[in-house]
Order: sequence, then C-alpha cells, then structure tokens
Amino acid sequence: MVAKKNVLEFISLIKAQKRRELLEFEAKNLISIWGIPTTRAELAHDVSEAVKLAREIKYPVVLKVASPDIIHKSDVRGVKIGLSSELDVKHAFEEIMANVRANKPNANVLGVTVQEYLPPAREVVIGMIHDKTFGPTVMFGLGGVWVDVMKDVNFRLAPLTREDALEMISEVKGYALLLGTRGSPPADIEALADIIQKVGQLAVEVPEIVEIDLNPVFVFDKDKGAIAVDARIVLRGG
Amino acid sequence: MFRLFKKKPVPKPRKRKVVARKPKKLVRKKLIKPEAAPKRVAPIRRGDGVKALFEPMGVMIVGASGAKAGTAPVLFRSAVDNMLCTYKGKTYIIDLSGKMEGAFKDVKKVRGKAELAVFALSQDLALKNVKKVADAGVRAMVVSPSYGQEQRGELLEAKKQGVRVLGPNSAMGVMNTRTGLCTSMEREMMPKQGGIAIVSQSNSVGAAVLDLACLHGIGVSKFVSLGDGIDVDEADLIKYFSDDNATRVICVGIGDVRNGRKLVDALRAAAEKKPVVVLRAGIARLEDKIYDAAFKQACAIRVQDVEEMLDVANALAKQPPMAGDKIVIISNAHGPAVLAADAMHREGLTLAKLDEKTVKGISQRYPDIDVANPIELGMEAKAKQYELVLKNVLADPNVDGVMVINMLKSSLLDVDDMRAIAEVLKKFKKPVVDVAMGGESYVLVHDVLKDTNVPAYDSPERASRALKALRMYGLIKERKAPPVSKAAKKPKAARKR
Repeated sequence: MVAKKNVLEFISLIKAQKRRELLEFEAKNLISIWGIPTTRAELAHDVSEAVKLAREIKYPVVLKVASPDIIHKSDVRGVKIGLSSELDVKHAFEEIMANVRANKPNANVLGVTVQEYLPPAREVVIGMIHDKTFGPTVMFGLGGVWVDVMKDVNFRLAPLTREDALEMISEVKGYALLLGTRGSPPADIEALADIIQKVGQLAVEVPEIVEIDLNPVFVFDKDKGAIAVDARIVLRGG
Repeated sequence: MFRLFKKKPVPKPRKRKVVARKPKKLVRKKLIKPEAAPKRVAPIRRGDGVKALFEPMGVMIVGASGAKAGTAPVLFRSAVDNMLCTYKGKTYIIDLSGKMEGAFKDVKKVRGKAELAVFALSQDLALKNVKKVADAGVRAMVVSPSYGQEQRGELLEAKKQGVRVLGPNSAMGVMNTRTGLCTSMEREMMPKQGGIAIVSQSNSVGAAVLDLACLHGIGVSKFVSLGDGIDVDEADLIKYFSDDNATRVICVGIGDVRNGRKLVDALRAAAEKKPVVVLRAGIARLEDKIYDAAFKQACAIRVQDVEEMLDVANALAKQPPMAGDKIVIISNAHGPAVLAADAMHREGLTLAKLDEKTVKGISQRYPDIDVANPIELGMEAKAKQYELVLKNVLADPNVDGVMVINMLKSSLLDVDDMRAIAEVLKKFKKPVVDVAMGGESYVLVHDVLKDTNVPAYDSPERASRALKALRMYGLIKERKAPPVSKAAKKPKAARKR
C-alpha cells in the first residue's frame, strides 16, 4: 500500500504539469516503485550531468533523448547504446542533440536519460490497455516481428491469477521460443508471469493509468529474471 | 431423410391440434371475460422483474388487431395464439383496436392482474402505452419493435417505476417450456421440456437454435431473445438462469456487449453452479481476442457455431463432467473407429490404456474381440457384446469417458440392440456419448436414445467436441474459481472522479 501511495503521488506530480504521457525515465521510476524490474534510468540536463550519472550507473551505459515531443526515440536517431567511457558519453550526448535538432527541430528537449546497458536477450512485450467493454486488460506477446508482423499477442482481463498469467504466456504461437529449443535453454517464464500480474494489479489499483507499454522486456534464462528495458505510461485525460 | 426425420422421431400431435383448432373457441375458453374482471383494484407488487419475465403471475399481451400491415399485427396474433394454446397461466389480451372478440380494450381494465406485459405493437403505439402498462402494475415488459437512441430513453421511463424492460427488438420474446409461456412472433416453436436455457441476442439466431432443438428433440428449459438489451442484459439473464432449478446448462449467443465486466462476473458466478456455453460472433476483429480471454477467465465454454452449441449443451445437460482426458472408443466397425480416434486427437483427448483386468474380463468371454483401443467388436456384434464390454470399460479406473459407435448399416446390429445398450449406460456415472454415423441410421438410433441420458451424434467429430466440452467442464470444476473481479466497478468510478 506504500507503493500505491507513492505511485499516486508520482502521478499527481505529472498531472500538475498538465501532462498525460510520462517520459521514459518517469515511467521506469513508476513501475519500479510498483516492484516491476526495470533498467535504471536518470535524467541528465547537460553533458557534465550525463558523465556523472554514467559513472554512478556504471559503464557501459545507454543514452536516450528525453523529450515529451518524441515518442519514437530511434526514429530521430536519439539513442546511443553500449557507451563504455566518459569520452563515449560526451560524444554520444553531442551527437544525439545534433540529430534531434536536425530531425525534430521544434521538439522541447529536456536532455538525455542515462540508462544501464544490458546485453541482448530474448524480447517480449507486456502491455495494458483500457478496453471499452472490459476495462483494464493486460497484453502479452513475443517481441519484434512477432508483435508487429504476426500480431501474435494475447490478452487477459486484470487482475490476473498466476494461472491466468502462465496460460496467457503459453498461448502465444511462438511459445516454443520461450521453452527453449536446441541450443537455447528455457527462458524465465515465472519472472514474466510476475511482471504480467504486477502490471494487472497496477492497472486495477491505479485506474488513473490507462495505458502501459513495456516494450521490450528482456527475458533471461530460467531463474535469471526478466526486466523492462523501455516503458511508456499514459494517464487518463481530462 | 428430413421428411422421415421430422415425421418419425419428433411427432408432435399437439402441434397438429394447434393448426386445426378454431381460434374463437379457444379464445372463449381461456380468456377472462372483461365483465368478469373484478372492479376492485388489486395491490401492485414489485419484485424481481427478471423472474417475472419467465415465471409471471398473469400475462397481458397488448396489440392492435386493426393495425395496418407490418410485423406488429402478425406478432400480436402469433403471441395470442401461442399463449392460448400452450400457456397454463392466465393470459389477458388487450386489443387497442377493440375488434378481437373477448379481448379487453383498455390496459386499465387489467390493472394489478398481470406481472408481464408483451408489446405486440408498432413503434409509436408501444411508446404511447408504456406508461399506461407500467401503471397497470406489471413487473416486466417484452418490447418487440426496435427503436432509435432517443426513443429508447422513453422506454426506460418504465424502469423508473420499477419495471424491467426486455428488448427493444425482442420479437422472439420469452419461452418457458414448463408453463407453456411463449410470447414469440413465430408459431409452433416450443421445444420439449429439458435442461437447456437459451439466451440469444439475435432473434433469428435464437429462432434457428429453437428450430434445431425442436427437430432433434433437445430439451429446453427457457428461451429468451434479448434484442437490444437496453435494460435487462445478458448478465441479468445468466444470473437468473444460474439460480433456476429447471436449467442445467446455460447457452448464450452474443455479439457485442455493453458492460463486459458485469458479463464476466455473471458468467463466473454461474459457472460455479452449472456449465455455461457461449457463442460469440465477430471473430475477425482484434477485440475478439479480449472477448476470448474474458470467456476463459470467466470459465465459460466457447463454441464456434449453433450446431456445436446444441451438441455441447446436450451433452452437458445429460452427462457428468469428465475427470480426465482418457477416452475409450467401442465400435462394431473399423473405419468409423479410426475416424473417431482422429477426431479425439484433434480435440486434444487421448485414447485410454485399458487396465489388465478390463482386457481379461472382455477376452475371457469374447476371445474374438480385439481388446485394444479402439475396441472393435466386429460386424456381428449385438447388444450382449456391447453390454459386457461397456460394463468392463466403465469400471476401469484408467477410463474417463467412452464413445460408443454403433453402425446399423454394414453390420448385424439393429435398433432394438440400442435399447439394451441404453439400459447399461444408465447405471454408470462416467460420461458416454453415442455415435451412429450416417443419415437414416442416426435418425433411428436417435429416436431410441433421445429420451435417455445418452446424447447421440451423427458423426464421431461432433461427438468428440461434446466429450471435449465435458472435459472442459471437468477442468472448470477442478479449478478454484478466482475471486470475483475487483476491477468490476472501478473504471466507471474513476471516470466520475
């Protein structure tokens, strides 16, 4: 319940700024309050702050542009990954700023977020929408082409039991990829079920949140966990 | 085939009477004459309006026999005929045109006498009379014409007086096979009494289901066509049927629903008491995935078409839930048994490995029978072979359910053997379904089995789907139903804030 109080406080701060959509680092902070594992992400307004945060978070790091006007950060070439030194971070900062100025000149840019870098893993998508008929509904799918091309996603109404969450994961067509095939060990499906249930609870407990998109969520081998690498949260309007 | 089918297994002498009867005579016999109605106004009671839809104390049918052509006068005459021919309770007929013999001219005359009102009127006339009818003390009304958004609001005025509104656009109305209540615009659609309740959003799909139920002699407890559902909705009806003793299985046919959470909660609560079978149209749209999830979480059994809905419901009404997925196929012919094994596989069921005791029990008596699974009895098998094999198999702890295949053609088996088989099946509590593959053979076998607790199918594929549903209900029973959803009312409350 402390978590709920903190989340509500967090949301009221955003609302005070008359915003509906959280920035990535805000969304990540919010879900981490709720106990959903996510990569650490902090806002740096300038280069020196970015360097300081990178040292704190530990190399290698990721830099992403922070702007309420930019949703798809890669599209404006506002993401730099695998930065392993102070020099890298400085260069990346300047480069991102230049790219954004070129591609989206009118965007209000707050700076960059400095985030911990994770090696590639199997990717899944976990989301939540408010369906007009059924209210808060949690979505699960395998990442990348599986979601975009195959439309291989599954839904369950929130809140979900453990059974619901596991059943939902098992129903995607590419489930075999998570179970492990020749050469690759099984993925940590329990950790995914955990995140799915927590997203469902968050949706039910805090109806102010009308949309959550954790894309991608990295899922590691069995017993190694899963972690949200990007997060988007939208609040109720009006 | 269908001629034979319709004539032989489903003889309905009562129906013939309906056609041949002289309407005037019946009207006189059954009607409460206007002058006989007591002057004193009876006290108006309000209560459960949904119950009053199916178990009313007195029904008034409001129509206008003199109305110009259209569905309203047809519906009026059909509803009056239906009620006078089959309804065991009291029917009060209000003819606003004042032409029908023995009918009341004014709603006021039957104040406090009827709990259910049926509007067999045109749009305008029905709207004009809503208040009058509500004032007459009914608890529920069936509204058959359809309305636009604005006029619906006027209809809902009745709700303020505590009257529940079914419809609008509920032309097939309500039926109760036990009391003969039938407010339908269609005549002679009353199926035989049984345990299946049918809720249909669509009039036509509902009519098709009833039609099929009549043809196959499938027992129905109650029927309702929901129409536009501006007041009474799917969830209200599911809740009513889940408490209804005459109903063993609830069938629901829907498209889009307004309040999904209310539906889920009603389905889930009902599934704890009896199986619920759902047919939903609109699978091509993405949102169907959410409906599908909702049905799963609500422990409803989803089917693909009307035929499957009745196949599955019939099995669920007659047979216990299945405790596992291990099936035995018993057949007097090879080909159908192989197709049956394929069908099982397709539905995710498995073939049971028989206990040694079972194998011995059968082969000692009939050494010629190959006791594998499927168990093939051979084309010379008669009732006594089926009996012995069934007794052994049903007592086998490795067996969760049985599919009996009896081919009448291409074998020595005949219909009389079926009676003996049905007798054996009565004594066991494990799920059994019967397959008589083909056309006429099915009609003959079905005729013997239709009044027993064994559902009969004309193909192993249909029978397999029925077994699958029995297994699904078994799983639902095992599953600890999750608590009724906490989010049921939250979205609304949040919107208000």
